[in-house]
Amino acid sequence: MLIVGEMKLAEVIHHDYNLVPVINRFDIPLGFGDGTIKQICAQRNVNLEFFLSILNTFHDEQYFPKDYLKSFPASLIINYLHKAHTYYLDEKIPQIKSMISKLFDLSEGNKKTLNLLSNFFNDYCKEFELHVAREEKEVYPYVLKLEEALDNSENQTMLDKDLLNYSIRTYEQDHEDVEEKLFDMKSLIIKYLPPENANNNIFEEVSYALLRELFVLEKELKEHSRIEDLILVPKVEGMEEQFKSNF
Amino acid sequence: MEAVVNIYIVEKNFLLRSGLEGLISEIPGLILKEVFEGIEKNLFEKLTQKKPDVIIIDPDSVGDNFINLISKLQDEPDIKLIGLKREDCPENICSRFKYQLPYDANKHILLEKLREACGSDAFLIKNKQGPLSKREIVVLKEVVKGLTNQEVADKLFLSIHTVMTHRKNITKKLGIKTVSGLMVYALMNNIIDINEVV
Repeated sequence: MLIVGEMKLAEVIHHDYNLVPVINRFDIPLGFGDGTIKQICAQRNVNLEFFLSILNTFHDEQYFPKDYLKSFPASLIINYLHKAHTYYLDEKIPQIKSMISKLFDLSEGNKKTLNLLSNFFNDYCKEFELHVAREEKEVYPYVLKLEEALDNSENQTMLDKDLLNYSIRTYEQDHEDVEEKLFDMKSLIIKYLPPENANNNIFEEVSYALLRELFVLEKELKEHSRIEDLILVPKVEGMEEQFKSNF
Repeated sequence: MEAVVNIYIVEKNFLLRSGLEGLISEIPGLILKEVFEGIEKNLFEKLTQKKPDVIIIDPDSVGDNFINLISKLQDEPDIKLIGLKREDCPENICSRFKYQLPYDANKHILLEKLREACGSDAFLIKNKQGPLSKREIVVLKEVVKGLTNQEVADKLFLSIHTVMTHRKNITKKLGIKTVSGLMVYALMNNIIDINEVV
């Protein structure tokens, strides 16, 4: 389904509940009423084209937002990605960590194993944080600077030659190892979590919940990198071309 | 899920693409990584940098550039090429493909052909299952101590090729890809002692 501005947002969410974290990132809280996407965007000062691009990218793996790319500034994308990062680091990951430590507390005979899992997940988090930090400290400032230079392109003195030395393509390639660790975490739990005492029901419940959260995190990170690959990278590539032609 | 075959499609036509996607989704272990339309700039580089196992190409989608592209892809020993074959496909084009999916074949035949193309080698059908062999455990012990493949090979008097085969099989059997993940597995199962790796 292609999501368009004339659709009612409530029905779109009914159709695909995976979009809930997305609307949340656009500061649209639940209870938003019966309006169309267009109306709600107008009320809340959300860029309609950008919102639709993100909704569609999340909703449909086949979607490719090329027609929309020119209609919103890169700073909006970055703002969105930044919010998503904050959500992963401040909410999702701590939530998973607390589940692991709960498992540790509940475990009667396997504390050693849970300790190992917990360390493994902490290592994953450190790597993930590094990855995020690189984007936030290196890549995003570059994009914002590039956009600023383009906005002021009539003012030749603003053209910063250093910007020519960087390219968005060079950075978007190191997702892999982080993803693999998350995959391994799931394998370890699915296949090798040692059984607890049969009446340790809460342990069982928490371990299911933990596994579910890992799947959700994995899926969300996948959508996240799709947004980077399909929206941010092509957008910035277009900007890079335009910037080069100004010299 | 352990053994996966990464597939890329080059097909501009939505109806055909959806059909291919449907076929791929019916065979466990085949993962559709990305779809190209055939008109992308530097398509060869875009395809090869991802290290695909299999590429399904519709010659019609690539157009005039087809011979050039296919010749370069044929030089990549690790990539299997599957061609979509129209009834009137010229011989000089369809002969380029070792594996073909004919337009007029029924679903059953297409699935068979796809399975044959993707699984006739090591990865799919012979997907090794079951516990690690003694040899694999020996290799695993060294890998999780942080040794490189070459160091493991030297230490155990094996060829690097053998070590890499063992490592692939370990990953397939366990479903664990990273060294640190393997280490957790090894510790959990008392294959190594914590003092050996710190």
